[in-house]
Amino acid sequence: MVPVIEAKKLSHAYDKRNILKEVSLSLDRGDALALIGPNGSGKTTLLRLLDLLERPYSGRIYFNGDDVTRSGRRRLHARRRMALVHQKPIVFNMNVFNNVACGLKFRHVDRKIVHRKVERILELVDMSDYRNRDARMLSGGEMQRVAIARALVTRPEVLFLDEPTANLDPASVSKVEDILARIISRGKTAVLMTTHDMAQGQRVARKIGVLINGEILQIGSPGDIFFAPVSKRVAEFVGVENILPGTIVSKENDLAIVNINGVEVQVITDLAQSENVHVMIRPEDITFARTRDASSARNVFQGVINRIIPLGPLTRIEVDCGISLLGVVTTRSASEMELKTGSNLYASFKATAIHVIKRG
Amino acid sequence: MKKFGLYFLTFVMIASIAITCFACSSKEETSTGGNVLPKETRIRLATTTSLYDTGLWSLLEPLYEEEYGVELDILYAGSGVAFEYGRNCDIDVLTIHSKADELQFIADGYGMERIPFAYNHFVIVGPADDPAGIAGMSPEEAFATLAEQQDSKFISRYDKSGTHTKEKAIWAAAGYNYSDIESSGDWYVKAVQGMAPTLLMADEVGGYTLSDIGTFLANQGDLVSLVDSGSIMLNVYSVIAINSSKCTSMSSASVAGANDMVEFLTSDEVQELIDNYGAEQYGQSLFTACYGNEPTE
Amino acid sequence: MDDLWGAFVQAIHLIVSRDPDVMDIAWRSLWIAAASTAICVVVCLPLGSLIHFNRFRGKHLLLSLLQTLFSMPTVVVGLFVYIMVSHSGPLGMLNLVFTPTAMVIGQTILIIPMMLGLVISAFSGVDKAVMETATSLGANRLQAYTVNIKEAKFPMMTAVAMGFGRAISEVGASMIIGGNIVGYTMTLTTGINRYIQMGDLEQAFALGVILMFMALLINIAIYLLQKRRQYVWFPS
Repeated sequence: MVPVIEAKKLSHAYDKRNILKEVSLSLDRGDALALIGPNGSGKTTLLRLLDLLERPYSGRIYFNGDDVTRSGRRRLHARRRMALVHQKPIVFNMNVFNNVACGLKFRHVDRKIVHRKVERILELVDMSDYRNRDARMLSGGEMQRVAIARALVTRPEVLFLDEPTANLDPASVSKVEDILARIISRGKTAVLMTTHDMAQGQRVARKIGVLINGEILQIGSPGDIFFAPVSKRVAEFVGVENILPGTIVSKENDLAIVNINGVEVQVITDLAQSENVHVMIRPEDITFARTRDASSARNVFQGVINRIIPLGPLTRIEVDCGISLLGVVTTRSASEMELKTGSNLYASFKATAIHVIKRG
Repeated sequence: MKKFGLYFLTFVMIASIAITCFACSSKEETSTGGNVLPKETRIRLATTTSLYDTGLWSLLEPLYEEEYGVELDILYAGSGVAFEYGRNCDIDVLTIHSKADELQFIADGYGMERIPFAYNHFVIVGPADDPAGIAGMSPEEAFATLAEQQDSKFISRYDKSGTHTKEKAIWAAAGYNYSDIESSGDWYVKAVQGMAPTLLMADEVGGYTLSDIGTFLANQGDLVSLVDSGSIMLNVYSVIAINSSKCTSMSSASVAGANDMVEFLTSDEVQELIDNYGAEQYGQSLFTACYGNEPTE
Repeated sequence: MDDLWGAFVQAIHLIVSRDPDVMDIAWRSLWIAAASTAICVVVCLPLGSLIHFNRFRGKHLLLSLLQTLFSMPTVVVGLFVYIMVSHSGPLGMLNLVFTPTAMVIGQTILIIPMMLGLVISAFSGVDKAVMETATSLGANRLQAYTVNIKEAKFPMMTAVAMGFGRAISEVGASMIIGGNIVGYTMTLTTGINRYIQMGDLEQAFALGVILMFMALLINIAIYLLQKRRQYVWFPS
């Protein structure tokens, strides 16, 4: 099946700064991809290029298999089959109904049909009662729902959303996420959303892409991204706080021992002996105890607490076991264990919780 | 972008040209009865201001228009500007009062011939109490007195009009170098205005000025005529039709209209009207008709 | 002083009694300025859109040039057009000199830089995202420009009002191009000029009162339009 939108090695620059570096991705009909990345990583630029608002510096874009990179006419026609919702809610100086009807009016659709379609879409976004209100007088969340309705009413084959909830209050955020879930579940539209909120990406989309510094570093399921990041940079971004450099010193089937600064950690990996690696452990996967437990974890280390950072119901603990480990416990546990800076502590984690990637 | 831009600019240009052409050939409302006339039958006449300020043209214009069935456009201009219009071929006929310049104009080929049709005199006017004491003097003496004393102000038209030209002639006749006079001090005021405001100014500041009798009588205020004799004060008005050989842009209707104007102004009926103009209102008529003879005194 | 007051009273009488000569002059001022403004709108809206929404070399230069032409002296425009349409000039064959049509052309040239500048500045006040949103909704160029124009409705109308105001109150261009012919090319402004020259104060005052009244209406319109500009973009 031909992907509905595909980008091949897109590069773009502004004022001699490279914003995007050979980005490639593709979406099939019904796909839902969330692009996560820090501010300035090029998310907005990528969306604008894909929505054919600007021509890329280099690379190609294909819409249903057609090359739409250069030709003005083709771009206009393709653009009319896609839609973009901005981060800042933008509404035109007219009532809600007319706002939503805009796209249809640009296409010279018959008035009766316009009416029917607009009413239907207003229901989808829960804005039916607002149809005659001046769109400028709405709250941010309501405006954004109008923007989404306006984008959807033309039945786009691709719906782009650029950080759609970034400027909204929490109640509006969940309303919008509900609407997006409905759209995605209908399976007719490919949805590409950018967000800097990883959790939202995980909630809304089925696939996540990580865009850092203009490069797509990884695309995969939420599980892949969070628990099996393919590089140090991705890992850092998705919140893997323990990224330790070491070397595989011995290997037996899947089980390997990695030497990190003299400390030996047992891991499961298919990399070979002598490989230089990064060992990645999520803070949540580290268990702490005051005594050496007879736990099932293969890795147990004794160390000294360097720092304790309380964060509401959770508390982060930095432990020095010859390797520096960052873990997290509930604040209640922390007080039950009477954790203090300088105390001895045992940190343990399963080999299966460790993700190993090649280093260098 | 290029394609769209081109379409739009073309549309705009066509629209603008269309509007202009439409306006060009469209009917125009006039205050003289709202007649609907195509553009060619507009005859342009430039007149010296004194013929206009006296109200003479208000009398003659409708008569001319009715008799010849054309629209008369009157351009109110000092003689200097009138000659300019003539040289630009923007008018069809002139009525002015500046003999030397008229002759030059004709010599340069722009005018057909100069046909005097009316005359009056210039007068030197001033405040009733005549502080400079020029009453009854000859024009040259009066000017000399004012230039010597420099106590009272003299208001000059200073606008290349026929009156201004006459003023300069009197200065010359009195033996003065005009460039000396015009830079000799505050007493010599350069109005750069039409005759009526100049008279008003003279009235306000209690100064003297040179005026044609017609405009003076129509805008007298508290001023009185102090010097009114002397052959130099003769003020002859002529009509000159523009030469279509030189101004080839003149349409046949314009040429006809110009000739008609000459005929009109020199016709017996109009000459009589001119001769009597103002008699009732001012006690004396403002002009004397030439009846075909140019006066020399 | 006595004289002036008497003249003023007479002037009001001329206006109230709808003196035909005064009405003729007022109407002419009105339609010439209106025609110029209309042509300007037709020219400036598309041209302004093209200039504002496209990048091209020399754009900054063009915008600076427009700014300087904003307050072009009217007599300069008048002189320029006169030289063009005079029978001794390149466009003499059009027979436009001393006609109201030529005055419309003159006023149009006079106010185009100003209106163009104001139109472009009106567009600057519209969020860039509006253009993008319209484009991403599938608008072609013309549709997208129209959306922006509608978004900038009030500044645009202000631009039109200001253009009209400048046109109707200018005297230099109308005087030189039109020749101030009574009943044909005399406007309120040139008429005041003539009547002062002739010492006809009542007529001058009558025209002056009408002109001031029109200027007042225009200024009120501009004031009201400016007020409507304020709208709340971001609630909460």
